[in-house]
This record gives sequence, structure tokens and C-alpha cells, in this order.
Amino acid sequence: MKLRVIFDTKHRAAWNMGLDESLLMHLDKIGPTLRFYGWEPPAVSIGYFQSMEEEVDIHKAHEMGVDLVRRITGGGAVYHKYELTYSIVIPPPPGKILSSYRFVERGIVEALKSLGIEAEMSGINDIVVSGRKISGNAQTRKYGGMLQHGTILMDVDVDEMFSLLKVPQEKMRDKIVKSVKERVTSLHHLGVDVEFDELQKIMAEGFGKALDAELYEDELPKEVLSKAKELEVEKYGSREWNFKR
Amino acid sequence: MEAENGISRGKAIVKSGKLIRVDAIFRDGKIEKIKITGDFFLHPEDKIEELENSLEGREITQVKNIAQEVLKDAEYVGISAETIADAVREAWKNRR
Repeated sequence: MKLRVIFDTKHRAAWNMGLDESLLMHLDKIGPTLRFYGWEPPAVSIGYFQSMEEEVDIHKAHEMGVDLVRRITGGGAVYHKYELTYSIVIPPPPGKILSSYRFVERGIVEALKSLGIEAEMSGINDIVVSGRKISGNAQTRKYGGMLQHGTILMDVDVDEMFSLLKVPQEKMRDKIVKSVKERVTSLHHLGVDVEFDELQKIMAEGFGKALDAELYEDELPKEVLSKAKELEVEKYGSREWNFKR
Repeated sequence: MEAENGISRGKAIVKSGKLIRVDAIFRDGKIEKIKITGDFFLHPEDKIEELENSLEGREITQVKNIAQEVLKDAEYVGISAETIADAVREAWKNRR
């Protein structure tokens, strides 16, 4: 498989989600594509099935200048700040959807290995190091294609994250925060400090190896970007979408 | 517990590896409106809206069967017909 790689910069949440969906819509035209990006300003994304009001302290997010967006994919709320995010669009591999999460996740495990980190897949959508989560992933199938996106934590500040995220039982907040602190890790915590741009290259190599893909860089056609712009404004930038559930 | 006009609202949170929240309006013992949210995975995603629509106007005892029918060709993690039925029963108990 030939795999187009886009080494992207940091963007607004609505643009990031708009471009991911546009890539998926144009899979036939652009071919299998892997994109790396970040978030500026920092953002909270919630899963397709989640309610913004239930998950996020919206007032606090506005105060902190944090973007809010609802994803096209399931899973939980994520605070995107100290991380690298990837998205990949490919034709759906045969077999069960849930087992194909791992098809892509192998790329991350491979990349971490090249950084000297022994990671393994856990459940359907997590990658862990010594039992601590370093990467979360989510997938959808639409327009005849498959999109999977996910994060690699470069650093993590659980207190900062929970200043934005609500917890199911406020009485249990301290306990929940403590438990999350015990269950997550990051490259920094593992003693690996690598720049955002350099990590993109390392991750790309990992995906290339795991998916047995030949990587190439090429600009995206204009129509992909204009569709992304349209989705940014009309969908992911809208209250109607973000607060739908 | 129940208002005189037969309308009440109940919420519930059920843990199933992931978290499922149900927020329902009941009228005369039936589900009038329901929202199922959480950090679960369900493919295809729009099955959730189909499920919510299918549950409206139905009795609590029918939830499991309806959910099984709607989810029969779907793939999911952290949600199932059983957990949805549990969550709706819990919401019914919590109604006010």
C-alpha cells in the first residue's frame, strides 16, 4: 500500500475535525492517507455519543480559551494539549470493525518501540505502557472508507485536564483524579522528550512499518481543503453539532 | 414520586467498562423521550438515534428486546441491550 503522509501543524479543533472528515470523504481521490497534527488553542473533544454539557465545564473552557468539539467517532472526552494526534483514512480492512482498531494501533506500538518504549494494545482502543495509558484511539466507517484517529501523549497534566472535565460523581472527584493519575503516562514521564515535528517523523515510520506501507508526501487537492473549511464552519464549529447530545 | 399529570424524569449512570448515561422522560409508565450518552463505541454510530427513537412510546419491560433488535447487526463495546435495559430501569427508579 502507498500511504500519503501529511506532516501538519497545530490548528483549531473545528478545522482538525473538518479535515479528518474531508480526508475520509475523499479517500477514493487521495488514496490511503496518514495525517499528524496538534491543537492550538488546546481543545477538549468529546465522543460522538457524549453530551458536551455532561462532560465539560463549558464556562471554564471559555475562560481558559479552550476549543470544544464533538467528534465523528465514539469514545470518551480528551483534553488535547501536550500530545501528537494522528488520523488515517484507508479502505476498511476485512473482518470485524472492532478488531480493525488494532490493525492501525500496531503503528503506534511500532513507533514507541523505536523510541525504546515497550507498549501494548489494551481493550479495543487503548495503548498502554506497563499498564498505563499513553494513547487512545477511535474509529468510524463512512463514505465507503475507514477513519481512525488517536493521540500519543507527549506529556500530561491530569489536574489541568480535570479542571475542564466533569466527573460522574462530584463527591468522588478526588478519588477519580487520583486514579487517573495512576493509570496514565506520557513520553515525558517515560523519560523521552522529543519535539513535536520529530515525533511526527518517528510515528510515520512506525505506521509505515506496521502497515507495510510505502510513505510519500504530497499536497492535498484544493477540494479536500475547501470541503474541510466547509465542515469546519458549518459542522464542527456549530452549536448544533457540538451540543447535539 | 410521580407528578399528577403522569410525567416524570429519571436519570441513571451505569458502568459497563465504559459509562452509559440515560436521561428519560416517562409518561404514564412509558418512555416519552430518552437520551443515551456515554463514552462507549457503537458501529454504525447512528444506531444510537435509531435506538432512542425506537424506545419512545414503549414500556420499560420492552427495552431489552427492542435494543436487541436494533443492535443485532451492530458492533459495540461498553454498551449492550442488557446494560441499556438496566440503565432505563435505574432511571425509572430514580424518577421524580
